[in-house]
Amino acid sequence: MVKKMKKEFACCLLVSMMMVSGCLTEKIDETIDDLVTDDYQFVDDGELIIVTYDVSGLTDTMISTFENDTGYDVKLIKLDDAGSILDHLMQYKGVQIADLALGLDNTYLQTALDNGVLVEHIAQNIPELDEKALIPYDGPYAVPFDQGYMCLNYDTQIVDGVNYTVPTSLWDLTEDEWKGKVVFPSPETSSPGRAFMTATTDYFANDNDSTTDWTDWWSAMAANDVIITSGWGEAYETHYTGGYGEWIDGHVGDAHIVVSYCHSPGVESWYNGNWTKSAALDLPRSAFHQVEYAAAVHGGNLNSSSEFIEYLLSEQVNNNMPTENFMYPVLNGSDLPEDGGYRYHSVIPAHPAEVSAEEIAQNMESWLEDWNRAMVDA
Amino acid sequence: MLEMFKKVANASAVTIFILLIIVPLWLALDRLIWVAGPDMTNWFSALNENYISKEVVGFTFLQATLSTILTVFIGLPIAWQLGRYEWPFQSFIKSILTMPFVMPSIVAAIGFLNLMEIYDLRSNENTWFTILILAHAWFNLSLVIRFCEPVLSTLDPRLEEQIKLLPNGQSFLDRIKHFWAPLLLPSVAAAACMTFVFSFTSFALVKLITLGENTIESMMASIGSSAGIEGYQVSRNEIILGGSIIQFTVLLISLWLMSYLQQKRQSLLPKASEKIAKKRSRYGWFVVGPAIIFAIAPLLAILVDSFRVQTREQDNVTESWSTEGWEYAFKETVSLSSGWDALINSLSYAFVTLAIALPLGWILAQTIKDLEVKSPKLARIIDVTTMLPFAVSSVMIGLGVTIGMIKINPEFFYQLWFTPVIAHVMITTPFVVRIILPALRSIEPAYDECAMTLGVTPFKRLISIKIPMLRGSIIIAAIFTLAMSMGEFGASWVVTRNSDWTTLPIMIDTIREAYKPITNTASNAIASVLMLIALVLFTWAEKFRPKRDGGMF
Repeated sequence: MVKKMKKEFACCLLVSMMMVSGCLTEKIDETIDDLVTDDYQFVDDGELIIVTYDVSGLTDTMISTFENDTGYDVKLIKLDDAGSILDHLMQYKGVQIADLALGLDNTYLQTALDNGVLVEHIAQNIPELDEKALIPYDGPYAVPFDQGYMCLNYDTQIVDGVNYTVPTSLWDLTEDEWKGKVVFPSPETSSPGRAFMTATTDYFANDNDSTTDWTDWWSAMAANDVIITSGWGEAYETHYTGGYGEWIDGHVGDAHIVVSYCHSPGVESWYNGNWTKSAALDLPRSAFHQVEYAAAVHGGNLNSSSEFIEYLLSEQVNNNMPTENFMYPVLNGSDLPEDGGYRYHSVIPAHPAEVSAEEIAQNMESWLEDWNRAMVDA
Repeated sequence: MLEMFKKVANASAVTIFILLIIVPLWLALDRLIWVAGPDMTNWFSALNENYISKEVVGFTFLQATLSTILTVFIGLPIAWQLGRYEWPFQSFIKSILTMPFVMPSIVAAIGFLNLMEIYDLRSNENTWFTILILAHAWFNLSLVIRFCEPVLSTLDPRLEEQIKLLPNGQSFLDRIKHFWAPLLLPSVAAAACMTFVFSFTSFALVKLITLGENTIESMMASIGSSAGIEGYQVSRNEIILGGSIIQFTVLLISLWLMSYLQQKRQSLLPKASEKIAKKRSRYGWFVVGPAIIFAIAPLLAILVDSFRVQTREQDNVTESWSTEGWEYAFKETVSLSSGWDALINSLSYAFVTLAIALPLGWILAQTIKDLEVKSPKLARIIDVTTMLPFAVSSVMIGLGVTIGMIKINPEFFYQLWFTPVIAHVMITTPFVVRIILPALRSIEPAYDECAMTLGVTPFKRLISIKIPMLRGSIIIAAIFTLAMSMGEFGASWVVTRNSDWTTLPIMIDTIREAYKPITNTASNAIASVLMLIALVLFTWAEKFRPKRDGGMF
């Protein structure tokens, strides 16, 4: 009897294991893959679904104007960050729900391109764009809509040369003085974090020290209790002492150096009537030029997404990027406003990291694995 | 003919349950294994080899253990006071102290965040873990009271008098060791088991209170969006598989232990009426008073903060009374759903869930009850199967729906308003079965047999005998289903974030934007609505609860 029961149990286990062997998933995915064809067809359903993160530039007024001008009904799928946008596009590959992806940056774009989740847009009226914005990618699948440099920001009231020394090298941050006082968003979950990690690969490849590499620095930072947050917001608003976070409930204020934009002090100053205590640290090759893209999604409404791309690059919208989205515009000849010390307090790095889009595309996966190992093994 | 109809109904209920509950989980598991590979050692080692998951398992166990200890430590003296002494407005006090358990976890999280801000603890990272443990204790306090207070209040006082005469009962400590401890231990352990389960799978409280720390549950939710895609973020699939297996095993063991302890709790000692003369406790208010304040404080903080608006002008932050937060919460914009939409969605999902889960759970309970006589083995199998979702966390259920079901036809499920209901039915149906099954078992078959002898039709017997006898349990099950669906956060967070079908708990979380103070007030306004709905449902359910009920429902 017991033997029989054991047999039955073994059979049940075997059947269950066979059931979860992935056969069914493979079948479902094959069916979905069949739906992806080169011959692009779409139905203009009068709708525009934008998958994005919390892009503050997408104001109600801006969207209402677009709706009134074009007759399209706009819906937003708001996700956490650029990584979540890519996740969403990958999850719905072949059967996309969104028409336009807004917010993928040059550290994520190539993965989206490699996986065929984007389609060539048909936007016609695209003005002349800033050359720099086209360096990482200048193809028909994605159009830059804003840009900026990621770099270290520090609190000038604390990092004043007396209490703390202004770092002149990234290695300085591994000193005891900086133990637990530096905050970075994680490159695994945040695009600013990913951008900064990319910059460090270039920084340490060119630091004339062949005995250590960028992963050694990250291990040393982990050993020095660097604070890693899931997103930029938590790093800048909760932990950084030099920014607007100190006026927000829940501000901890335990870090005096943070990864943010080189123009973040300019934004602070613009808000505070030409005053800020935050400054960007321009260390050679430690800043990363980040470009954010608008891209038509494969399977989405190409008409509505292309019209929105044109709208986003129109002068009336794109020139407002510095004050609506707190990023540089991409139109040729445009710049940050001078009001409130915005431009004065914003730094354009003299020697940003030089990492090509191809390098990023080829190495991002392995860089993330190396970063993970460096942090875990520290 | 009727017998045939009954058999078809029973078989259909079992089939629907399996389709609704097992299939999504099985599909999700199938997909995760397809991406991660079948080597189980990789799944578990991935937990330690990834920065995102390293220390998560340890943190989950640590916070759940400490939460359980603190809950018992706070709850036991309260249960003692309520059970052993006479109190003015006793049932009202009991209701207040047991109310936190029915509050949605996101409401509890917002309440504690508000308290932290009042006492300026939010800015001190070192307090976050302690606050989390306290919040778990607040949430689960009622479990200790509900499990232990009936044992204390109905125990014949003569027994204690008798034990005082024995050598082992001379001192108070002796009586605790030889009398109270053995008597209360099964109840305390059962409450501790449930507290451990709820703390172990905590999501909303961890997500909002302890930034940077994760339980297995919150970690799975945060990386779930990239799971199930071939060749993409493979390690995340391994982490989810490893994490969910640990979670499933821990929950299964806890539930088994809980079920074993429940049987042990069936005390054979003589019971007395609750109305037996009890003394008033001289110092009891020092225990019950703070407990009442502890239970009410987070909820009051939510209501008050929903009318407090911050104004920030450069270095100056001022607060004033205003209804702006409520106006903001219920105003529709392109980028933000209105509170009305969230309320309508939540109510509609709750009622649709009720319309499915209640009859489904009832028929399943009836099937188990019928089979207990004819085929006890099959009854046991179905009984265990209906309990299976208890061992699966809400986030895993959410992932079951997203990477299991939605993948079959993403466009269909995305546009289907009904999709979140699948997760809600998966979560609530087992509770309905657990509430109605004991009630069905307690009905004397003689009533039905007498009516049958008198020639009463089956339909009339159902209307005039069964339903009136089950009325209390049905109402409690219905209210519980509504309350659970309205406050459900984990599965909804995973399922609805890719759609615009937002619910009240999801809106409370998403509306908060640090740099806009008004959104904080608005999230308190939405939390107040959810809290008030939960309170109304709880008060209503209390009317139908058996007086000596010692369970969690």
